[in-house]
Amino acid sequence: MSAIENVSAIEAIPAASSADELYQEAAKTFGAALERLARAYEADADLRRDLLQDIHVALWRSFQGFDGRCSARTWVYRVAHNVGASHVLRQKRTRTQALVGLEELENLPDENSGQPAADRSHALDRLLNLIQRLNPLDRHVILSYLEGLDAASIGEITGLSARNVATKIHRIKNVLARQFQQGGESHD
Amino acid sequence: MTEVLNPVQKIWQEQPVEGIKMSVDEIRRRAGKFERRIVWRNRREIVSCILVSVLFAYFLATNHHVLFRMAYGLFIVGMIWVAVQLHRKGSVNSLPPALGAASSLQFFRTQLERQRDVIKNVWPWYLAPLVPGYVMLTVAYAVSFPRPVRWLGVAAFDAFIVLVFVGIWKLNVRAARCLQRSIDELNSAETSR
Repeated sequence: MSAIENVSAIEAIPAASSADELYQEAAKTFGAALERLARAYEADADLRRDLLQDIHVALWRSFQGFDGRCSARTWVYRVAHNVGASHVLRQKRTRTQALVGLEELENLPDENSGQPAADRSHALDRLLNLIQRLNPLDRHVILSYLEGLDAASIGEITGLSARNVATKIHRIKNVLARQFQQGGESHD
Repeated sequence: MTEVLNPVQKIWQEQPVEGIKMSVDEIRRRAGKFERRIVWRNRREIVSCILVSVLFAYFLATNHHVLFRMAYGLFIVGMIWVAVQLHRKGSVNSLPPALGAASSLQFFRTQLERQRDVIKNVWPWYLAPLVPGYVMLTVAYAVSFPRPVRWLGVAAFDAFIVLVFVGIWKLNVRAARCLQRSIDELNSAETSR
């Protein structure tokens, strides 16, 4: 079951709930999504475990300032992605490959382009490789899309204008279509 | 909300996860560890600053020439200034508690702006504070050893220091320009409708 289907549980928590309660509910609801997110921000298994723990700590600390002005889901994704973006910026000096935007990724030649993935694991590796080449903001958009968030939610979480979100989703679909041989405009 | 998942979304969402869970007590312990790391980093900076200052203070105490003493005194003040600024602008900041209040775009832009400001204005906080010490040291040498052959060595050393300073400055200006381009892209992504 995806995190989105469980959202109602955390949205139902009264604003007066303690930070501990909010954190526990968020960890239960979004735990798997946070693990997937950490995987997109760090390829090394040990560092990824550290990053995931940092995300949990940041989430727990952040709920002390949660005022209910946005939904808990938006809050959780913002915190997690902002920690992920900080991690990417810190790793800048050790990175061997420059990060690119979706527009550049769309135009980059790719050796896997058009080749069907041998199995799900291979397809997932290819997808992760693609995501990890993106700059933090575009990485956030593609991850939100993969998690099944709609354009309005992506705009609220990222702060991008509606037009930009639409453009980026269009590019994501094109990149994924090219990489995984599927219809680029099949759904929204 | 998306009703039907496409195959790539399915692959992403159905990937195996370890199901890592952290209790609130574990979270508190790790948060404490993180805070201690920040405290240790700050202590390290203070200790480094004290060690360098002690070295210059030793030179200051053992040298009886007033110009040399002034040069070492200026170096001490410059080092303290650089250490304080490094501490204030350091990159290993603890993350703000209200991390969820900022959208990714705002947060990313703030991080880039902070990095840009640190490297763009490298002169006033990193390079300039050491200049008076070097100038005074050069003057002290020129006055203490009034033989042109000695001055050549001093001039070569000063030229080397100037080259290093200009090199650091140029590299930082170039990096700041790259960061500014990224910030401009984020601004246009936010405002275009």
